[in-house]
Amino acid sequence: MEMEKKFGVYLCKGCGIGEAVKSESMHKAIKKEAKIQHIKEHDILCSPEGLAMIKEDIANEGINSLVIAACSPRVKYDEFDFPGCIVERCNIREQVVWIQPPGGEEIQSMAEDYVRMGAARMKKSDLPEPYQTECDKTILVIGGGMAGLSAALHAANHDYDVVLVEKEQELGGFGAKLHKATPSSYPYTTLQDSPVLAKIKEVTAHPKIRVMTGSTVVKSEGQPGLLDVTVSTNGNEETMSIGAMVLAAGWKPYDAAKLDKLGSGVSPDVITNVQMEEMAKAGKILRPSDGKAPEAVVFIQCAGSRDPEHLPYCSDFCCAASLKQALYVRQQNPNAVAMILYKDIRTPGQTELFYKEAQSDAGVMLTKAEVTGVGLAPGGKLKVSATDTLLGQNIAIEADLVVLATGLVPNTVDDPIINLEYRQGPGLPETEVYNGFADSNFICFPYETRRTGIYAAGAVRQPMGLAMAADDGVGAACKAVQAVEHIAAGMAVHPRAWDETFPDPFMQRCTSCKRCTEECPFGAIEEDEKGTPFFKINRCRRCGTCMGACPERIVFFKDLNVDIIGSTIKGMEVPEVDEDELEEGETPPFRVIGMICENDAMPALDAAALHRLTLNPLIRFIPIRCLGSFNMEWIKIALNAGIDGMILLGCKYGDDYQCHFVKGSELCAYRMTKLSETLDKLGLESDRVQQFEIAISEFDKLPGLLDDFVARVIEIGPNPFKGL
Amino acid sequence: MADETFIKPDLSFVKRIMAAGGDTAKKCYQCDTCSVVCNLTPTSQPFPRKEMLQAQWGLKEVVKSPDIWLCHQCSDCTVLCPRGAKPGEVLGVLRQMCIEQYAFPSFLAGKVGDPKWLPLLIAFPVLLLLFVLNIFGLMRIPEGTIQYSKLFPTLLVDVIFMGAAAFAVFVFVNGVRQYWKDLNVNPWKVKVEGNLVRDLIATLKDIISHNRFRQCETTFARSLNHLLVFFGFVFLAVVTALAFYREWFEAHDAVTNVYLAMKLLAIPGTAALLYGIYGIYQERLKNADKAGAGTYFDWLFIFVVAAVGVTGLFSWVFRLIGIKMLAYPTYFIHLVSVFFLFFYAPYSKMAHMVYRTVAMLYARMAKRGF
Repeated sequence: MEMEKKFGVYLCKGCGIGEAVKSESMHKAIKKEAKIQHIKEHDILCSPEGLAMIKEDIANEGINSLVIAACSPRVKYDEFDFPGCIVERCNIREQVVWIQPPGGEEIQSMAEDYVRMGAARMKKSDLPEPYQTECDKTILVIGGGMAGLSAALHAANHDYDVVLVEKEQELGGFGAKLHKATPSSYPYTTLQDSPVLAKIKEVTAHPKIRVMTGSTVVKSEGQPGLLDVTVSTNGNEETMSIGAMVLAAGWKPYDAAKLDKLGSGVSPDVITNVQMEEMAKAGKILRPSDGKAPEAVVFIQCAGSRDPEHLPYCSDFCCAASLKQALYVRQQNPNAVAMILYKDIRTPGQTELFYKEAQSDAGVMLTKAEVTGVGLAPGGKLKVSATDTLLGQNIAIEADLVVLATGLVPNTVDDPIINLEYRQGPGLPETEVYNGFADSNFICFPYETRRTGIYAAGAVRQPMGLAMAADDGVGAACKAVQAVEHIAAGMAVHPRAWDETFPDPFMQRCTSCKRCTEECPFGAIEEDEKGTPFFKINRCRRCGTCMGACPERIVFFKDLNVDIIGSTIKGMEVPEVDEDELEEGETPPFRVIGMICENDAMPALDAAALHRLTLNPLIRFIPIRCLGSFNMEWIKIALNAGIDGMILLGCKYGDDYQCHFVKGSELCAYRMTKLSETLDKLGLESDRVQQFEIAISEFDKLPGLLDDFVARVIEIGPNPFKGL
Repeated sequence: MADETFIKPDLSFVKRIMAAGGDTAKKCYQCDTCSVVCNLTPTSQPFPRKEMLQAQWGLKEVVKSPDIWLCHQCSDCTVLCPRGAKPGEVLGVLRQMCIEQYAFPSFLAGKVGDPKWLPLLIAFPVLLLLFVLNIFGLMRIPEGTIQYSKLFPTLLVDVIFMGAAAFAVFVFVNGVRQYWKDLNVNPWKVKVEGNLVRDLIATLKDIISHNRFRQCETTFARSLNHLLVFFGFVFLAVVTALAFYREWFEAHDAVTNVYLAMKLLAIPGTAALLYGIYGIYQERLKNADKAGAGTYFDWLFIFVVAAVGVTGLFSWVFRLIGIKMLAYPTYFIHLVSVFFLFFYAPYSKMAHMVYRTVAMLYARMAKRGF
């Protein structure tokens, strides 16, 4: 439904814009070329008076499509928020005035270009109509350990219905199987009862939490807000409506049988930390071989963790666990000695105080050591050999009992658990990047996964102990709540949490090539029986990767499509370049388009501007959501318009990716490799279009990067299609 | 595995160290700040870090290490230890353990370091001297001008105290012989090269000049205070030797060179001793917060030395003033304190004068840090 648009352009003169940009010339450009007559200026547009001026126009004159030529859209978004209006933010502050020296010759043409481009973009855009459905806000929590219990309680205490599914017959996970727990409250010095026990009581008593033990998730169909999850309890299946999920499926111990170098299998008296805990809980710590109480116990830390042959990561809890178990040994027998051999002692969270306390016990001894072997010794004992010790030499210690502090492995390493009915697969994709953990790559986005509406918490996401798992559950529950609330309002969940647009494809022209289906990082596109793709909107994160992928250009968002950006590109003025008429040392008026992603590239540009770095004036930047949304058609449009080059700036990709949409910039780079052949065949050097990775912290590299690219374009020569 | 050292922790040793004032040893987390800060440590295998680890693990062979005696307890390490593990104090306790280890007979060894036994330890010389006075019928305040030999005839004093000294020497010789043997087969397997006489002279020079004390920062004042106490004792020892000579080989009222030498050395000797021990007392209190308060073992020694000095001084003062009722009892207490010092020397902190010298000599001969 198209609205009748009434245009208005608002020019701010604050922050140095008024001094740098000539008002008269700007007005002329807007009236003649952008063809908008209603133009107003203000010294401080974001001030209450400036905003009042705009709001008056909206109310009295029916202005509903505005170009705000002022600062970056990353700032003042609350001020320039006019419901029911299309608002196009033209950044003539950070992208023009702040990146040019005062009195720069190019400022005027840059500013006018941006306003022309902004007007073109605004004219083609429409107001979004949110995609709203009857959705469920029930939160499903998979896993009844500390993280899952925490998540369930947090959601339930905020009035959400929760279903808690636990595969074992009892709640509590490993936390409930402890004899004692390392302290989780000040002064962090004495062993406590496991904090999980109190949580189990709270959860079972809570009216909003439905607990299903002995149950697993068999199937999850649909999309967030409209999930149909089938849970099997001892063979009986039940399907329920779910809004979002918290995956808190926990961990299992690393298989100690693989640790033969550390004596595993040499004697029944070589046990794991889990077995040690079980013995303590059962009542007494005894040597499995002859049932006697041990007098000398050796703990070997990092048993299989931080080892390229086993687990490459640190399992986080084992140092604290061994210190705790050393105290068990000492408490059971005041004449016993507990010796801990470590690579490093790690005390995450608040465990440093506990470490100091445990260490002050006369019989707890610690040394750094590389254990070289564990073998049998006379008298039914064990001999532990080590080198690189603090005592400076090769040592041998006799022990009655050896405890291998083995690490943890997430349950997602070999089990999808969530069992999604997604064309792209039942589990979370590419967890090998994270050693099997249900993690996301970015510390900014803990709990998020590559499946919208599914949030990971606890040791399934990252090695952690009970204290951190409790907090993790709360965090993931908050994300799950965010998900159901946004979906109910028809808004994207994250990272474009304000976005009410959604992909609405023009299916008549779809050829079912399924590039969009395969390339969507979030599995938001499925295919029907005929093989035709269709969108599950609630899974979508509105990155536009599908739009970039589609060779038929059928994907449309209300404020973003191939034509909208194409028109924006054409809104630029492309001057003639006559190299013969140039003066000595004068730079020819080449023109370059810069496609910048809104998550890393645009912030980097803003940061450069904040630092008043001078950036090349021949480039006009067009922000897009993600380089994944970059459609090859735009290169054609740009080259036809006479533009000499195109630079694509986006987030880093690879295993250590920073792309906020996971795969966007990587896909763009892949598409670019296909492009260079085509360009070369057309007689247009492929160097005219290049992609670069940039992080927000690398803004200082921008001047050089942009200058080098423009220099290369100038070297190649002007676009032969210019002026045609 | 080739060349493996067998480690067997002795929990009772750990507990002994903790009870004697080294309880902070368990706080050490082996960061090595102490060794880096120490100005006295050799650079290879420095102390006190490894000694802290050995103390934590209850490895008794630490008492055989000469390094614990190379330490002069400047306490720079204690001041800078990030964990409050007080390595200076712990090494002091380890030295006490070393003294106990080599003292003979072993049943006496631990008693001097144990506050419970103090009353008995004091009672022994008191009762012994009273007994002697009794059997010789000398249990009274003598009349006339104050002359201490009226209470305790010189011969009696000589016999008792030379006896005590001889006992101490005998125990020391035994201990040092065993200690030297153990040093040479210690875990560090340092080869002893060097020349005994030449290195002994160099060691004595170090001791007399107190140059190692001057490397301390926190307890720099001790380089003077200890020097004074040391020379105080040396002077008084010379005075005693001269007195002995005079007693047996000169006429009692002749004013000879020996007599003059005695008088000239006695006063500065006493002054140095008292001033020095007072300075040590003051400094320890001042530094207590950051450098540790010291153990019972330390303070017992300080008080005994102070007692010897103070009672000696006041014996002389009261004699000059002429107050019999104060002079003779003070003299009695003086004798008790001197006996305490001599007789228990091999078991108390006084033993440091022998063990540290031997350890420093050994370190020189083994080319360790010199």
